[in-house]
Amino acid sequence: MSAPVRTLVAWCPDWPVVATGVDLAEPVAVVYANRIVAASPGARAQGVARGMRRRAAQGRCATLALHERDEAREARLFEPVVAALDDITPRVEVIRPGTCALVMRGPSRYFGGDAAVADLVHERLAEIVAERTDVRVGVADGPFAAELAARAANPTRLVPSGEVAGFLAPMKVDVLERPELVDVLRRLGVRTLGAFADLPASDVLARFGSDGLGAHRLACGRDERPPDARRPPVDWTVSDEIDPPADRVDRVAFLARTLADELHRRLGRDGVTCVRVGIEAETEHGEQLLRFWRHEGTLSDAAVADRVRWQLDGWLNGSAASRPSGGITRLALIPDELIAAKGRQLGFWGGETEVDQRAIRVAARLQGQLGADAVLVPEREGGRHPDSQLRLVPAATVELTGRSLDPEPDTAPWPGVLPAPSPTRVLTEPISIEVLDECNRAVVVTGRGLLSASPFVLAARGKRIEVRHWAGPWPIDERWWDPEAHTRQARLQVVTVDGRAHLIALAGGAWAITAQWD
Amino acid sequence: MFDTRAMATGHARNLAVELDEQADSATRRAELRLVGERVMPMALAREQTLPVLGPLVPLFPEGALRRGSIVGIRGSGATSLAMAVAAGPSTSGAWTAVVGDPDLGLGAVGELGVALERLLIVRPEPGNWSLALAALVGAVDVVIAAPRHRISDTDARRMAARLRERGSVLIHIGDRWPVGADVQLDIAAGEWEGLGDGHGVLRSRRLDIQGGGRGSASRPRQLEVLVPGPGGAVAALAA
Repeated sequence: MSAPVRTLVAWCPDWPVVATGVDLAEPVAVVYANRIVAASPGARAQGVARGMRRRAAQGRCATLALHERDEAREARLFEPVVAALDDITPRVEVIRPGTCALVMRGPSRYFGGDAAVADLVHERLAEIVAERTDVRVGVADGPFAAELAARAANPTRLVPSGEVAGFLAPMKVDVLERPELVDVLRRLGVRTLGAFADLPASDVLARFGSDGLGAHRLACGRDERPPDARRPPVDWTVSDEIDPPADRVDRVAFLARTLADELHRRLGRDGVTCVRVGIEAETEHGEQLLRFWRHEGTLSDAAVADRVRWQLDGWLNGSAASRPSGGITRLALIPDELIAAKGRQLGFWGGETEVDQRAIRVAARLQGQLGADAVLVPEREGGRHPDSQLRLVPAATVELTGRSLDPEPDTAPWPGVLPAPSPTRVLTEPISIEVLDECNRAVVVTGRGLLSASPFVLAARGKRIEVRHWAGPWPIDERWWDPEAHTRQARLQVVTVDGRAHLIALAGGAWAITAQWD
Repeated sequence: MFDTRAMATGHARNLAVELDEQADSATRRAELRLVGERVMPMALAREQTLPVLGPLVPLFPEGALRRGSIVGIRGSGATSLAMAVAAGPSTSGAWTAVVGDPDLGLGAVGELGVALERLLIVRPEPGNWSLALAALVGAVDVVIAAPRHRISDTDARRMAARLRERGSVLIHIGDRWPVGADVQLDIAAGEWEGLGDGHGVLRSRRLDIQGGGRGSASRPRQLEVLVPGPGGAVAALAA
C-alpha cells in the first residue's frame, strides 16, 4: 500500500466574499440559490453561518449586505494568486477559486523540505492577498488531508508523512462533504473520522457502495481511489484551433463548450474519468498558458466549460504583466491522471434523477429565451389568503433538486385560513362587483362582523347573477399595528346559479371577486 | 429405488400441471400477456403510459395516459380536472409544466395531487407560446396549456408530431386548440356540496364528465367523480 502523494494546499478563507471586494470587517455574505455560501468574519460574529437561508441570515444580522454569487469573478481574481506560485512548481492545480494545491515531491527537494516550501508559498500568497484576507497553508499526504490541514493551519501546518490517520481521527465526519453519508453515519453513532476508519472496509463497501468506500479510504488517510498503474494507451486531449485569434472571452466560450462535450464523450466511451483537467491556451506569439483544475469525475461537461471560461477570463483580463501578448489561437483540454469511472449512482428515492435533470435543463433554457421572470416555481410561505400560502419565485433563485414543499408537520395552521379545497384561480386583478339583497339594497358587513342581509344577487358591469348558496362572512383583520399595511376584510364563499363557486371579499366598503373555483 | 419413485411422482406432477394449464389456458394466456407487457422493450413509446389517479381511470381507454397523446378538457371545472389528471404522473415522479395561466391557485394544484416541487410555471409572451411549448415537450412529462389566444393550425400540428416523437402528454384547457384531442373530456355539469344559506363551507364538487376522442377513445364514456373531493383531492363518489 503506497501512501498518497504528498500535497500542499493553500487556502484563502472566505474567498467568495473577498471576491466581492468589500471590507471583511463589515457584515457581508454571498448567497446562491437563496442559501448563504460564504460570510465575512464580521457577519459570522453576528451568527450568520454557511447554509443558512437568506431570510434567516438577515434575521440574525439586519445590516447584512448580500451579494449574489459570481463564480466567474471569483475565478478571475484568483488567477493572479495561483500565477504567483508558477515559479515554485509548474503544476499548480486549482481545486476551486480560493483553494489551490501543488504536489510536493519536486519543490520539497529543491527548496529543502516541506516546511521551507510551505513558508515560501505562504509568503508569496500573503503578499498578493495582503489586506484582503489571509492565507493558510497545509501539507499532508493527499489533497484531502492537506486541505483539512490548511483549514487547521495558523498560518502553516505540516502533518508529518505517515501520521495522517492520527491527524484525521478526531475530526468530525462532516468534513467528508457527503451530506447523506454523514447523516447516516451520525445516526449510527459514528461521529469522527477515526471511528469511521475503524469500520472494516468490506462492511463499508457493502453498506455504502463505492462512494462510501472512497470516503472510508479518505478517513483512513489514504487516496480516495487506489492508484491505477495502467498507462493510458490513448491521448484523450481535445483541442481546436481558433482562427482568427480570439482576444475576448465570449469568442472562445462557445468553443469551450464544444471541447468540454467532446472530452466527456471520449472519456465516457472508454469508461474513464480524470482527477484533474488541464486547460491549455496558445497565443499567436507562441506563448503557452496551462492551468489545472480539479475534476475527480464529479464535474459535468457544463461545469468544465464554465471553468474554461473562468480561466480564460483570468488570463485575458488579468494584470498587464501576466496578460498574454496576443490573441488565443489554440485551446486544448487535457485530462490528467485517468481513473476508472465508477459512475455516480443516482438515488433511488430522492436525489437527482434523469427526469429531474431534463426538467431543470429546460427551465434554465427557457429562462434564457423568455427572461428569468417567465419561468417560475412555487415556494411555501405563511399567510391567510389563497395566494399567500404559496408564492411563485423565478426558477433561477432556488435549488430545484431535492426540494420539499410539504408543509412542515409541526407547524400550526394559520388562523383564519379557509379550509381545503382551495380556489384554482386566484385573481391577480380582483373583479369589482356589487352584492345586493332581495330588495336590491347593497349588502354590508356590520362592525360586529355580521351581514346586513342575505346576499341575493351579484352584479358586475350590468350583468346580474343570482346567488344559490353562500356562507360567511369570515373576517380578517391583518397588520393592525401598521397603519400603511393594515387591511380589514370580510370574505364570503358564494355559489351562483350557474354552478360556479367564488370567493368574494369586502374591503374598504367595496366588494370584489378575489378567487374562483374552476 | 427411491430415485425412480421420486422421478415418477415428479413426472406425474408435471402431467397434472400440464392438464391444469390446458384447463385454464385462457387465464394463463392473460397472465402471459401481462408478463409480456411488463417486459416489453422501452423503445415502444406508443405503448408507454403514465398512470392516472384511481378515480379517473374509467375516463381513459387504456386506463392511463398514453405517452405522446393530447388530452383536451372543456367546461366549468376544467382547471381542477386538468390538475387532477396531471396528479397521477406527478405523484410517480414526473415533472409538470403549466403554460400561460397567470391566476393559477397553487394551493388547489397541490391539494389535487400535483407535486409542487416538480412544477414549473411558464408565462411566455403570446408570440413565444410555441417556442415555450416546444421546449417543454420532451423535457417535462406533462405539459398543461391554458391558451388565452387561438393557437394556429400549423403550430398545433407541429406540436402533435413533436409530442408523438418525444412521448410527453399535453393537456389543454378550453377550446382554443384547433386540432382534435386524442382524449377529449367535456364537463357537462358540476354541483358543489357543503355550502348552505349562510352556513357551511365549500367541501366538494361532483363533476359529470363525458369522454370522447379518437381511435380507441372515441367510444363515449361517462363518469361522475368528486373534483375536488373533501380535503381537496379527487375522490370517487361514495357508492
